[in-house]
Amino acid sequence: MNNLTLLVFLPIVGALLVAATPSKAAGAQRLLTLATMLVTMVLGLAVCLDFDGSSALAQHVVERDWFAIPGQSGDVPVLFKLGLDGLSVLMVALTALLGPIVVLSTWGHIQERVKEFMIWLLVMQTGMLGVFLALDLVLFYVFWEVSLVPLYFILGIWGGERRLYATIKFFLYTLSGSLVMMVAVIALLYQLGTADIPTLIERAGGLPHDTQLWMFLAFALAFAIKVPLMPFHTWLPDAHTEAPTSGSVILAGVLLKMGTYGLLRFCIAPFPLIALEASPWLMGLGAAGIVYGAWLASAQNDIKRLVACSSVSHLGYVVLGLFALTHAGVRGGLLQMVNHGISTGLLFLLVGMIYERRHTRALDQYGGIASVMPLYAVFFVITVLSSVGLPGLNGFVGEYLILLGSFQASPWIGAVAVTGVVFGAVYLLMATRKFLWGPLTHAANRRLPDLSLREAGLMLPLIVLCFWIGIAPNPFQDRAAGSIDALMQRVDAARAQRQAALQGEAPAELFAEQVLPR
Amino acid sequence: MTPDFLDQLVNATTLGALAPFLTLCIGAMLLLLVDILPGTTKLRSPVFLATIAAAAWYSVQLLDAPRVELFSASFVSSPTTALWSLLFLASALIAWCFAQHYYQEEQPFLAEHDVLILCSTAGMLLMAGAQDLITFFVGLELLSVPLYTLAGFRRARNDSVEAGLKYFLLGAFAAAIFLYGSALLYGGTGTISLAEMRTLDVGQPLALVGLALILGSLFFKVSVFPFHLWVPDVYQGSPTPVTTFMATGTKAAGFAFLLNAAFLLPPSSALVLAVIALATMAAGNLGALMQTDLKRMLAYSGIAHAGTILLAAAGYLAGDPEQLGGALGASLYYMAAYVFTAGGAFGLVAWLERELGGRVTLESLRGLSQRRPALAAAMTLFMLSLGGIPATGGFLGKYFVFSVAVRSGMIGIAVVGVLLSVVALGYYLRVIVAMYMQKPAAGFAPLGEQRLPAALATGVCAAMVLWLGLLPGWLLARIG
Repeated sequence: MNNLTLLVFLPIVGALLVAATPSKAAGAQRLLTLATMLVTMVLGLAVCLDFDGSSALAQHVVERDWFAIPGQSGDVPVLFKLGLDGLSVLMVALTALLGPIVVLSTWGHIQERVKEFMIWLLVMQTGMLGVFLALDLVLFYVFWEVSLVPLYFILGIWGGERRLYATIKFFLYTLSGSLVMMVAVIALLYQLGTADIPTLIERAGGLPHDTQLWMFLAFALAFAIKVPLMPFHTWLPDAHTEAPTSGSVILAGVLLKMGTYGLLRFCIAPFPLIALEASPWLMGLGAAGIVYGAWLASAQNDIKRLVACSSVSHLGYVVLGLFALTHAGVRGGLLQMVNHGISTGLLFLLVGMIYERRHTRALDQYGGIASVMPLYAVFFVITVLSSVGLPGLNGFVGEYLILLGSFQASPWIGAVAVTGVVFGAVYLLMATRKFLWGPLTHAANRRLPDLSLREAGLMLPLIVLCFWIGIAPNPFQDRAAGSIDALMQRVDAARAQRQAALQGEAPAELFAEQVLPR
Repeated sequence: MTPDFLDQLVNATTLGALAPFLTLCIGAMLLLLVDILPGTTKLRSPVFLATIAAAAWYSVQLLDAPRVELFSASFVSSPTTALWSLLFLASALIAWCFAQHYYQEEQPFLAEHDVLILCSTAGMLLMAGAQDLITFFVGLELLSVPLYTLAGFRRARNDSVEAGLKYFLLGAFAAAIFLYGSALLYGGTGTISLAEMRTLDVGQPLALVGLALILGSLFFKVSVFPFHLWVPDVYQGSPTPVTTFMATGTKAAGFAFLLNAAFLLPPSSALVLAVIALATMAAGNLGALMQTDLKRMLAYSGIAHAGTILLAAAGYLAGDPEQLGGALGASLYYMAAYVFTAGGAFGLVAWLERELGGRVTLESLRGLSQRRPALAAAMTLFMLSLGGIPATGGFLGKYFVFSVAVRSGMIGIAVVGVLLSVVALGYYLRVIVAMYMQKPAAGFAPLGEQRLPAALATGVCAAMVLWLGLLPGWLLARIG
């Protein structure tokens, strides 16, 4: 059995094992889940280490026939094809790493129906790994939708008071985007005669311009809802606020990245020409999201909602970087996907831990926490600074590259985005001041216990990563270099074609020649 | 009977092709005997099961056999009809399993119940293989008359009798319309054979009116807008195992013929069909959204699913004739997934009705996952499959049907269609919400006894839903 097949289906096997345990044995279920997640993590990280970043080709590929459906010229084989490439390697590593951390965090806040929770957590892990590893469009779609279901249960069963509203909103919002994407998937398969993603990306440039445009829009809609990009973001604060801590961590850490990952792989890579045309719009939405998310966040008193709104803002950066369509922008966007997973994941963990102690998320119920929980305060401050983008920490590298890239593409939009950096610092630091510093005004806060060993231990790897990526980002960036170079080649070729067309020369073949080396 | 006819009837090929149908007829008669002869009551279940098993075995033999035309090409047996037969048999078997513990005061009459189910299934087999209008009509009546009786099977209950009467009156009306349409079509073309009509021009007014009438009566049977209004009442009033059978088997049989005969329609009707399909989906989904009674909700959802299959028929008419196989295959796949999904879902309603001692509402489902985890998990799987979430048969069925629509260029229609299925998720999710996410209501009936046949049927349905969702290769290869 191939490593990737094992990696994807290991959590499901764990889920079946957990399902077989007696329902009262919560401790055994937790340990079994943790063990599965740890093995998955080791396997996942090993696969990611055994990866040649200078190559743009998919590695560790496994390919099996699945079924076939009719196409324009003959049957289109639909494959069970998994593979790792530069666009997915960091995401896979992040997903694998967050797995055990999320399980460990549930010791604090999941006390009821532990068995079901662990099963869903494991199913979720399979779904997410599958999304990033799938190299067949239909398989990708299957994993994409399957990963909706576990979160729906996690939110709906273990969520807060308005959980039913939040979970149905989340599900239906995402599903409506996905189903439109399904029509695009069907049409793309039919016209291009392949479901294999690398082949598909090569052939997509040959489609008529209008077809490309519609496909791009359909895919972009699904992914924009998932990210979420600004006008589609309203489900996110609700979902985050109502989700249990572990749900929020998965949602922010990995699930939202499925949207940005999709934009990169299914909007930019196959349709670079359309991406260039749409670039100002999507960059604009990204920049608007940065500023708007920051404003929203600064008005929140609910600390979890604040982090959720900051998520909207930070994902605006990612979209801004990706659609700047410059080398720096795309590299920054990809790295920032990881950074956001780490720092927002940490923020949700921290917020969850204080909520477990104090059972309120209202910012004005806190103040002076640093004096009773010093270790907590250290973790919190590092995380906030990483999120704000302090040099030396991971957020800085990503944001810097993104802003550099977007200034190259459009100085105006870049300028708007830079104001977001300022707003971001303002609301996060102000919230930190209200939360950690100042006098201890509430008596209930006087006896809060500091972080336990488990809590500190589960966050430590992420904190280490904050510094590591901040100080030495190259080992991470290098893994994606080959794929990004290949992607940018396609984008540059499309750009040359577009400029030629704008100047009236319109060599229709140029694009095809440069992009389809055959 | 001329020797020639006898010759035709009694040879190995013919008998082989007719074997599933004949087995069901013989089984029905045996069951009648078992009911009368003293001391043989215990044989009721074995005889029924043996009949279904034998018919299924003969159908499996036909999966690899060549296409055979019988009786002056009025009935055909092919791998496709064998697949349909297997579906009908599965539907009958599922309904039977859930019926075993369902009836109480009607228990002594269960043999009649089983006879009627077998007759009805035989009718379905006839419908799927029918190549002319008369054969089809005989099949239709053989299907319908037992079902009218079955709908009113719980004769002590008003709603069951009402359902039977309603179904009978409207069904008789639809049958009359079918006959009227056939007469006109015959008048217009001079033949009742589908194969001959293929070579003739059916574009003249008389034939077209006939076709429209036939289509109307078929739409009635498969519950397509605007002929769907009987569905909620009849489905709700009928005994739930009968509803299970009606919702899955009847619909499958109706569509089996509808798709067989779809080529008669002019290509220009594709858009009309597509719009009717969308209207059906809208009517079904919006209707279901309003329901709190699970059985009624599933009835409306069945209407919506009929609309989705009709979309494949529309796509087939709009696309080029080469793709006939694709459209038929997509519908067959969709129907296969639907038989097991809806069969399981309605079956579980039957189970729960006994367990809860009354109607199954969203209210009464609350907290079910805590009391019957396996049952709730199965119901969840069926709901997700009905909603078309991947890893279930419902998803691939939906994917294939929408592929047909997209391939024939109806992209706008397909987009509206998929968005309507978002509405559908709105109510399927409510069932899951009630079972998993809401606190149990106070005052529960105690857990019922184990029901082996129903539990087995649920397990098989769930396994089939997953199998159809994960490994479609086997069925797709058979469909071609």
